[in-house]
Amino acid sequence: MTKDLDLTDIQGNIIKAYGAYNYQKARYLFLRINNGDKGRKFVAAITTKVTTGVSWNKSGAGPAVEKPMATTNIAFTYVGLKALELPTASLRGFPEDFMMGMAKRKDILGDDGPSDPENWDNIWKERVHIWMSINAQNTEALIERYNWVVQQVEASGGGVTLLTGHRGDAGEDDLPYQEASVLYDEAGNPTPKEHFGYTDGIGDPVFEGQTNLSARVPGRGKLMRDGSWAPLATGEFLLGHVDEAMEYPKTAPSPTLLSRNGTYMVYRKLHENVGTFNHFLDEQSKSFPGSKEMLAAKFAGRWRDNGAPIVKAPDDASKAEWDKAFEAADFAEQKRMLTDFTYNDDIHGAKCPYSAHLRRINPRGSLEYGVTGAYETPGALDDRRRILRRGLPYGSVKDATRDDGNHGIIFMALNVDIQRQFEFVQQQWINYANDFKEGNDKEVLLGNHDARHPGKVVLQVEPGSGKPPHFINNIPRLVETRGGDYFFIPSITALKLIAAGMVDPT
Amino acid sequence: MATKSGNATALTVLSPIKNGAIGETSFADITRERCMRLPIHEQSPLTKVPNTYLARLFILDDVFYESLPANDSIFNFSDITSIFFDSARKKALPRKDHLKSKYLVFSSNFHGDLDAYLTGMWEKWSYIDNKGVQRDVRHIWEHCVAFDKVTDCAGFIAYIKKCQFEASLFFNGSTDDSLQEQLKALYLKQEFTQFAMEHQGKSAVEIQQDFKAFIARVQPENLIAPTWPPGKSTP
Amino acid sequence: MSNIAGKAYAMNVITPIRWYTTWTNKLFFKAATLLPSTLKGLQTLSLIHYARWVIIPRNGFPHLDSSQPREDLHYAYMLFFSNFNGSWDQYVDSFTFAIPSGLDLFWKWNIRYPKSVPLTPFHNYIRHNQIDTAHYYNAYPMAASNDVKSAQKIKKALIRFNTESSDKSPEDFLQDYYRLLNDLQHHFGDMKPTPIVSLSSYEVKKRYEQTRF
Repeated sequence: MTKDLDLTDIQGNIIKAYGAYNYQKARYLFLRINNGDKGRKFVAAITTKVTTGVSWNKSGAGPAVEKPMATTNIAFTYVGLKALELPTASLRGFPEDFMMGMAKRKDILGDDGPSDPENWDNIWKERVHIWMSINAQNTEALIERYNWVVQQVEASGGGVTLLTGHRGDAGEDDLPYQEASVLYDEAGNPTPKEHFGYTDGIGDPVFEGQTNLSARVPGRGKLMRDGSWAPLATGEFLLGHVDEAMEYPKTAPSPTLLSRNGTYMVYRKLHENVGTFNHFLDEQSKSFPGSKEMLAAKFAGRWRDNGAPIVKAPDDASKAEWDKAFEAADFAEQKRMLTDFTYNDDIHGAKCPYSAHLRRINPRGSLEYGVTGAYETPGALDDRRRILRRGLPYGSVKDATRDDGNHGIIFMALNVDIQRQFEFVQQQWINYANDFKEGNDKEVLLGNHDARHPGKVVLQVEPGSGKPPHFINNIPRLVETRGGDYFFIPSITALKLIAAGMVDPT
Repeated sequence: MATKSGNATALTVLSPIKNGAIGETSFADITRERCMRLPIHEQSPLTKVPNTYLARLFILDDVFYESLPANDSIFNFSDITSIFFDSARKKALPRKDHLKSKYLVFSSNFHGDLDAYLTGMWEKWSYIDNKGVQRDVRHIWEHCVAFDKVTDCAGFIAYIKKCQFEASLFFNGSTDDSLQEQLKALYLKQEFTQFAMEHQGKSAVEIQQDFKAFIARVQPENLIAPTWPPGKSTP
Repeated sequence: MSNIAGKAYAMNVITPIRWYTTWTNKLFFKAATLLPSTLKGLQTLSLIHYARWVIIPRNGFPHLDSSQPREDLHYAYMLFFSNFNGSWDQYVDSFTFAIPSGLDLFWKWNIRYPKSVPLTPFHNYIRHNQIDTAHYYNAYPMAASNDVKSAQKIKKALIRFNTESSDKSPEDFLQDYYRLLNDLQHHFGDMKPTPIVSLSSYEVKKRYEQTRF
């Protein structure tokens, strides 16, 4: 049934969210290929240091590899693969969304107004061919690996250019890399937070072939009729494997060796309007019957301080209870408290509103609306809309009353079908709400709220309680897109084939 | 008889189009172009045909040949006979079918009685075509077989009834209220949502006062006005 | 002009069925209407305004005049018309994931019907047999099926509330008003134009708007 994954063939960033492994720092590099032959040699050089998905320092089965101080991964845009002179027959097999690139899909994604590509960092006006990531446990390791990459660029003799044009902390707009880092608390300890104060990075999908499934799958796999959780099909996240529709993903180009064990990555730089968010939260909490933190939790679906799911801790009193239990729990139990839940006891959204970020991006079984047996499984409409989330915050907030600082999130979504998975969630569940019976009401935090025609959401309450629902109106745009594109993350085998110029779909 | 689900009615009409042409343009292509160039939303002629929820027009040029993979889980006797006779295998392939005429297909979902609806089509269907000329329903059906014999409403009703089909299943996923009811309700939903939002946190006296003014303005039981016009496509 | 009118998509599918199985199809359809559980999935999906299946017998195509040649067909034909919300992909996918057995019940006897799982053959079957709409009219382009149903509830509740409560004392009025909002809390979604589900349709519509006199 389940087959172990070929971890040596899969790039590490697909298998691991490096941030959870103490890789606190990152740099994202973007390059242009000027010459196919030299570009391929560059890829060959980089491939010698590309991090695979093997486990680190594992005793027992499988190859044990020393955990590196820095990781490196690489991916390509469609035009990048063209520049590397992949054959036309292979190129034609890539999906339309990847071929167009993210900027041309702005109407689907809702990247309008301040998020329009014309407002993106300068780098996105270049032809971006290659994406590279360096994740490091400390700054020294980061710089060392970065310098090594720069050396490879120089060794290419003009064959490859490291593009500049990223905005930085001091107001620069021409940096040669995008920096990212975990946020630190006052004591200098790394935290899993982002700039609005929310705890991020909880709950990644779990799929067949991963290790330690039974411990990780509750709340993160697919919900079955009997209330248990099962791992999602591998083919939702890796090309060349059977997916939830019982077939091999059709977004895989030919030949098989090019696509197998690869996937697609959506890279988005999301600027956070910290000042507007803080002001908005303050203003709205004045009329909200509950604490400010409870309101913040209603927006996200999780409490800011420790990520408690609001469906399990719907108000201040129950949150205090939840906190006590959380404190007393061991590590495994804590993880379970954070991820193992459904909305089955909250069909009306009185605990976790239908507009909450968490419920919109992953409604779990709640699209069945409590009509048991309406669908094959309660999660049938949700299982194929999952994405692997990677990324880190960037920048820092110097003045929490302002928007114009350098602060946001580098967000990456990994999936086999950009249009069916990431774009669908973005367009139909974040920027629209018919599936949630909320018409055009956008998700509070990520929705592309229109300043000229501001929208609203309804925070539902217990039916029959005689209490009115609470309206949150005039929602400002809290997050703006500052850049990004669609990339193909090849397997190690595919990387070597690409580098050797040996991709041949005949 | 058209098929009903409560008071909602499903009308399915296939009208054969004359074979032949005017100059080098076939009657079917003329009809197709006229359909494709019909103005949309608020300007569609269907806004004038009372009680039309959703309706569509297209030309059925021909049936499709099912050049698709065989289904391996239905047992066919030809699975056995083809072992002995190759002609059996060939016979098991899907047959090629062709229509000898093209058909104008009109499918409408509406509220109420069929005869009243068809009368509405004859009398009320009206629009300005892309050349600026005022047109009625005859402009679409003009080149259908025997339509030239239709000269009045009774004739039109009889004609359509000769072309219509029962539905084996008519699924109503919405309501079966009259269109006026639906449009008025949509208007009220929009207005009351706005009211509820604006009055959050206000005093009882103020809400009650404003509510009375609200009712006087939106007139919930007045289906004529104020309301959404049919085909309203912008806020 | 297009299969899309506001938030609704018009799907037209015509498929041959063995002429001698038309009666089984009609039987299944009858059973579906008598057994509400068969349609439970469709109703919970809540994506459809109205949909219908029509069977045209082999000799059933209208013949209106001697000048018209009579049809001579091997198969009977099943027509499927749907008015649904969302994109083509979302709609077809929702059938495969959510109610695959129900679909098989309706389409089983169609020639070369591939079953609804796996997905791509089923997608191909629908696409292969789909005819594009020349003119699609939607009386409420900004309203999804959910909105029409919500609106009906709001209208009824508003009229009843006005009759029963608008002349009570302010305190009693307020209690009733809060109860009204509570009852209607799932029906307050805004209604604005649709998200762009198809870039090519969007372009066609833009050009149409530019060329209208």
